[in-house]
Amino acid sequence: MAITGHLVEFSLAEIFQFLEQGHKTGLLTIFEQPEPEPPRGREHYIWFNQGRVVAAANRSDHRGLISSLSQRGLLGDRAASRLAQSCGPKVPLGLYLKSQGILDAEQLKLLFYTQVMRQVCALFSVVDGWFHFDSKAVLPCDEMTGLSAPATEVTLAGLRALRNWSTLEDKLPDPMSTIVALVEGQPNLRLNAVEWQVWEFTGGKDSLQTIAQHLQLPIHKVQEIVFRLNVVGLLEEVPMMVLEAETTHQHDEEDELQPTSSLHDSTVSQSFLNNLVSFLKHKV
Amino acid sequence: MEIMRLVVTGPVGAGKSTFIRSVSEIDVVDTDRRATDEASLLKPKTTVAFDFGRLQFSPDMALHLYGTPGQARFDFMWDILIRRAHAYMLLVAAHRPREFHYARRILSFMQRRSRAPLIIGLTHTDQPGTWDEENILIALGFPNPDRHPPIVSVDATEAGSVAVAIMTLLQHYSQVQQRNVEQPAPHR
Repeated sequence: MAITGHLVEFSLAEIFQFLEQGHKTGLLTIFEQPEPEPPRGREHYIWFNQGRVVAAANRSDHRGLISSLSQRGLLGDRAASRLAQSCGPKVPLGLYLKSQGILDAEQLKLLFYTQVMRQVCALFSVVDGWFHFDSKAVLPCDEMTGLSAPATEVTLAGLRALRNWSTLEDKLPDPMSTIVALVEGQPNLRLNAVEWQVWEFTGGKDSLQTIAQHLQLPIHKVQEIVFRLNVVGLLEEVPMMVLEAETTHQHDEEDELQPTSSLHDSTVSQSFLNNLVSFLKHKV
Repeated sequence: MEIMRLVVTGPVGAGKSTFIRSVSEIDVVDTDRRATDEASLLKPKTTVAFDFGRLQFSPDMALHLYGTPGQARFDFMWDILIRRAHAYMLLVAAHRPREFHYARRILSFMQRRSRAPLIIGLTHTDQPGTWDEENILIALGFPNPDRHPPIVSVDATEAGSVAVAIMTLLQHYSQVQQRNVEQPAPHR
């Protein structure tokens, strides 16, 4: 399966949500260019395993991790290449180096943070770009530390750092809507202070506008927070119902739309369904 | 007169009006009208619109089709429509991932307001860049391949295709009714 699209159409946050929820494995390539056709601009590669981010690179020769090791003075370029060759075909290079006593757990974490969190988070600011996801791509052990992060965690960090929200403008929640939690109890992701404050309002009673007033925040800030907590699956936006259907008084000519309780639970008879199906079959 | 009310919802451009027009025996009524008193308090100048189509197939039986308003941020008319619906269909343009997020919001809204049976209708499936069913379901929040509403491809311009989609919805409605009879819900 391959999916291609423009980031304006389907944002990186939505892609990550899709890949995580679908437990997708494969390679996501981000092209920093306005059109999908060559000449190609800068390319970025993010590998997923079962919906988790396992590696990222901005080069296609699978030498990103080796280069990073060398830049940090952890291992010479040549030594790293030699060790990479002796590493088994299905063993992530990072884990192999740890098993050889060349890296410790902290160094591995730092490598992963630099490779994935820092690199991928920066991609959330790519405005004019294309994406391509290839589920048949093989995971590159040479680029893998052996660590992984849920896509939601990366999304949260990426959207926190995002300054230009213009491409997500039409996806931001309505200021007049409210929010409800999608998880029971506490969020399973680490929230920052202001996210926590917004989270406290997930009772479905206050509009975003009201929340913004309570927290003395600009409404767009609250909308951005709600958007990011939504794409990571913590809460959802629900339109605020200022008009309860039961008390609605419609015009007489809209009799059919009168929400009366007697009709609310009405069902349609089986003979009705049978007749309708027979009728529709003639249209096919 | 026995009437069944089906609601056709979905993002703008998914094909709701075309869908209803394809099968309605009357000219589809685009009911542009002023908002009601309560709504006008909120938005004095709001006008809302929904499509209405009808199919009378027996002297005392008729199918009513309602298309939800096109406005992206308008919800009270949706509420009225969905609360009255026997069943509904979410139309999604399969080649327009930009709208998946909004389709998901509609779905979330509908499911909070109604327990009416739902199916998903995919339109524009012959267009370049079309996503496949499995991926659209994930994007709409149904990652589990064994737990999702029925999904059907539909050409909203073809009466035959629309008829098939409605029959799928009727079949699903019938199954849900049957299930409810066998295992009544504790409360609505």
